[in-house]
Amino acid sequence: MSEERKFICVSCPLGCGLTVSLNDSGEVVKVEGNTCPRGESYARSEVKDPRRVFASTVRVKGGKLPVCPIRSKTPAPKGKLFEIAEEVAKLEVNAPLKIGQVLIHNVCGTDVDIVASRDLAAV
Amino acid sequence: MNNNIDVLIIGAGPAGVAAGIGAKKEGAQNVVVLERDWDLGGILQQCIHPGFGLRTFKEELTGPEYMHRFIQQAHEVGVEFRTNTMVFQIDKESNTVWTMNKERGIEALNPKAIVLTMGCRERPLGAIRIPGTRPSGIYTAGTAQRFVNMEGYMPGKRAVILGSGDIGLIMARRMIWEGAEVEGVYEVMSWPGGLRRNIAQCLDDYGIPFHLKTTVTKIHGQDRLEGVTVAQVDDHMTPIKGTERFIECDTLLLAIGLIPENELSRMAGIEIHKVTGGPVVNDLLQTTNPAVFAAGNVVIVYDLVDNVSDEGLIAGANAAKFALGRIPKDAKRIPVKGGENVRLYSPQFVTGEADTTIFMRVTHPIEQACKVFAEPGLYSQRLRYARPGEMNEVKIKAEQIRNLPDLSEIVIDIQPV
Repeated sequence: MSEERKFICVSCPLGCGLTVSLNDSGEVVKVEGNTCPRGESYARSEVKDPRRVFASTVRVKGGKLPVCPIRSKTPAPKGKLFEIAEEVAKLEVNAPLKIGQVLIHNVCGTDVDIVASRDLAAV
Repeated sequence: MNNNIDVLIIGAGPAGVAAGIGAKKEGAQNVVVLERDWDLGGILQQCIHPGFGLRTFKEELTGPEYMHRFIQQAHEVGVEFRTNTMVFQIDKESNTVWTMNKERGIEALNPKAIVLTMGCRERPLGAIRIPGTRPSGIYTAGTAQRFVNMEGYMPGKRAVILGSGDIGLIMARRMIWEGAEVEGVYEVMSWPGGLRRNIAQCLDDYGIPFHLKTTVTKIHGQDRLEGVTVAQVDDHMTPIKGTERFIECDTLLLAIGLIPENELSRMAGIEIHKVTGGPVVNDLLQTTNPAVFAAGNVVIVYDLVDNVSDEGLIAGANAAKFALGRIPKDAKRIPVKGGENVRLYSPQFVTGEADTTIFMRVTHPIEQACKVFAEPGLYSQRLRYARPGEMNEVKIKAEQIRNLPDLSEIVIDIQPV
């Protein structure tokens, strides 16, 4: 069965409405509604392997703040976000932290690293 | 008192840091940014989600990452930052800026030029009259964001979000990721306040219901919030009888709008625009006090931080020019008028001394092909739609103004085509 799927592109603040046409074997044959190439690649990824950047905080010992923001360095599989959230919630790190510092390698076997997203000095 | 400051900037958020860079690059010697927090970055410190700086850096950064780049650049060009420093007064006549800091005490600063970059504040519960009790558990979305992202506290376990501004949408997802429930987002208008992509990636991704033309009509609970009553509203925003529904929740987050923070600007005798809530500015981002410039959300609330930084760079550069005596005193003052579909816009005057971007919002969604334009014949651009939640722009070149010596006003509008 060929299929049409619609979603909002989240690649930039424009939020274009995308329509993706799939053929019988589930392959993308057409992307419409995008106004740039990012929209096309977002649509293809959204059909095959939807991903999102995960952003949260980790607990910090001895820092100027009790928590430090973190992010997945690259977009992580959407279906694994809650699993990643639980992994991140278990972590406690020592200050100081540097922006970009890897805190978890290959989180939940996704090949995605969790990194600190700010500098955080020790008290 | 002469403390030898060329450009003094109030607030080290995205606009202020950029203003510092802009002022130094324009040739000002002593550029000082005052910040009341212990750290730089302003509200972006707590905006830990990605989505910032796509236009400036060609990649999507989190708030702290975006600010990190600007702060580094500011240090490289020699901007001086003074943290833990609160400005409590600006004198009208002398432009003296009064500051306090634990180590330095109270100081009176007399810079050659000032840039106001205090940002905006959230509309609080008191701004909308909801009947009922006033228990704990009610926060603006930004306060909750600070609790979760910087202080490590969760505001509650089951939340209702009133208003669909971007911070509320972002916080809906944030609460979900931290293990809370979000019952739904309620918006009194018939269109969303925030960006469409945030509805997609923050609500739709997690199956959070989004209700338009619905609002909270009662707050329940004595010590702690126990629930809210929501009801649909008619076209006059009056709750419709019979549509009321009780929702059990321990947290109510408010994302009901942002207001430019201009307490200091008023003290300084600067004219505040009654619709934007920010200083009246010209295309140089100069206020009605010639030595005082303003940029970012203190002027008009933007959607994108890229625009805030751009405006900061411009205001900083022009403040430096003023300090160096390079802004003509007899510059033109051509008024910009908004047409019937324009709710607010900035700047409100054009000198023609520099190329300029006029930012505006429409009064209501125009869901069809339309054009944004500036008369007489200064700009025209086709749009697929225009929505209040997404700013539109008009770009005018200084040369166009110079070529029209008799130009008496500019009219901007958005009309269906």
